[in-house]
Amino acid sequence: MANVSWKIARRTNAQLPLVIVMALAVVLVLLGKAQSGLFDRARMTFTDWTQPLLAVAHAPLVQFDRWVGSVDEVFTVYQENLRLKDENARLRQWRNVAVVMQDRVGRYQSLLHAVPDPGLNSVLARVIGRASRPFLETMILGAGSSNNIKPGQAVVDARGMIGRIYLAGSRTSWVILLTDLNSRIPVSVAPGNRQAIMVGDNTSMPSLDTLSQIVTLRAGDQVVSSGDGGLLPPGLPIGTVVEQGGKYRVALLADAGTSEDVEVLAFRKPPEQPPAVSQLPAVAAGLPPATATPSVSASVVAPKPATPAPIVKAPVAPQPSPADQADEDR
Amino acid sequence: MGIAERAGFLVSWRSFSVLVPVLCGFGAVLISNLPLSLTNGLIPAPLLGLAPIYFWCLVRPDLMTPAAVFAIGVLEDIMAGGPPGVWTLSFVITYAVIERQRDAFAGLPGLGAVLGFATAALITCASAYFIIALYYWHIPLLAPIVAELAMTVAFYIPAAYVIGVIHRRLVGPLRSEP
Repeated sequence: MANVSWKIARRTNAQLPLVIVMALAVVLVLLGKAQSGLFDRARMTFTDWTQPLLAVAHAPLVQFDRWVGSVDEVFTVYQENLRLKDENARLRQWRNVAVVMQDRVGRYQSLLHAVPDPGLNSVLARVIGRASRPFLETMILGAGSSNNIKPGQAVVDARGMIGRIYLAGSRTSWVILLTDLNSRIPVSVAPGNRQAIMVGDNTSMPSLDTLSQIVTLRAGDQVVSSGDGGLLPPGLPIGTVVEQGGKYRVALLADAGTSEDVEVLAFRKPPEQPPAVSQLPAVAAGLPPATATPSVSASVVAPKPATPAPIVKAPVAPQPSPADQADEDR
Repeated sequence: MGIAERAGFLVSWRSFSVLVPVLCGFGAVLISNLPLSLTNGLIPAPLLGLAPIYFWCLVRPDLMTPAAVFAIGVLEDIMAGGPPGVWTLSFVITYAVIERQRDAFAGLPGLGAVLGFATAALITCASAYFIIALYYWHIPLLAPIVAELAMTVAFYIPAAYVIGVIHRRLVGPLRSEP
């Protein structure tokens, strides 16, 4: 191309700087491995700074996408309309079933004194950008920490989960998609509540690593978030299991490429409270509760091994405490 | 304008022309990393930052120094959002190869120049791929990096045209090599 038209300059004597620069680049990679968020602050500052520009520039692109996407739909609009009517009728039936079931589950929970699910607050955010690089698939939202968005929160659209918040600036936030190479999500596969890890590998369908070798999955099984680790709320719809080349993958319900408005779920698992003394297994079994030795702090006592202590006397019939008696009477 | 004023203007303009290749590299990185896509992320953005590196490494290596390549690579890493240092090291490796084989690359005419750049882009993408494989200790998919390579090569012709114009207008007249 243009190479021949230029007068080629003489070779520079820059061997030493090149070696130094290469060493610096290797150090940078190693530093990045040790501290992956090395450039996060700079990236967020830049994204926050360009947020108004991105929001303005993204709007015509969305219109263009809609226009391009609707060109081929013109030819199938009649069939699509019939299909949607049929689907709508079936969904109305399922909605009635869901309402009845929800009511029934609520009554069972009240009867069983079940711990209610933690409430979820959400922030509605607009997608202002998408980046698809060989080693990172993200979307950028026009809401950040000033809208109470924090890293780790789940991002969903009307169909299902899309990803998690990866970086949160003041006015923008980056979402790491479920399909990204860095994405690992603990999931539960229904029916059977089988636990697995959903691993993104930059394909449109993340793979499933089951936690047990004897678990067998079937195509069509439903995949939801398991809530393990307390970062994500349990039960978020994610996708369905498909088998591909002897490996199980997840066909995602949500399409991150077409989502325009998404919800960021602020999930905070309530801290687990220690059980009351009356609910301890030892007390429930009729044994006296263990008392901490005054000279040793409870926090530094290692748990005893579960070997049974030798029985030195005959078991005594349990004597319920007045509080327990009152509970039973109630 | 007096002689002294004119000399001062020329000195400052010359200083600016030294920065033009690096600024072009920064601009190319910023443009290619804008999170806007016409294809909903189906097609990756090209590595536009590589074009100024390749061009000025061949035409005027005194203006595209290893430090400049390092700076462009760091900006690419910041903007691309991947693991830190991957693109920096890839760019520096590519620069090292081009710089050593400069005589072979510089004399390529027409389509050969595009093939020369394709070779450079292949070195960059292959380096990034293997660094990522080592980084995660996991072989990543080949398709995304191949798509990135194809897009980078496809965008070289317009990029080289723009860089050529910039070189002619801003760099060439004032900093000719003896």
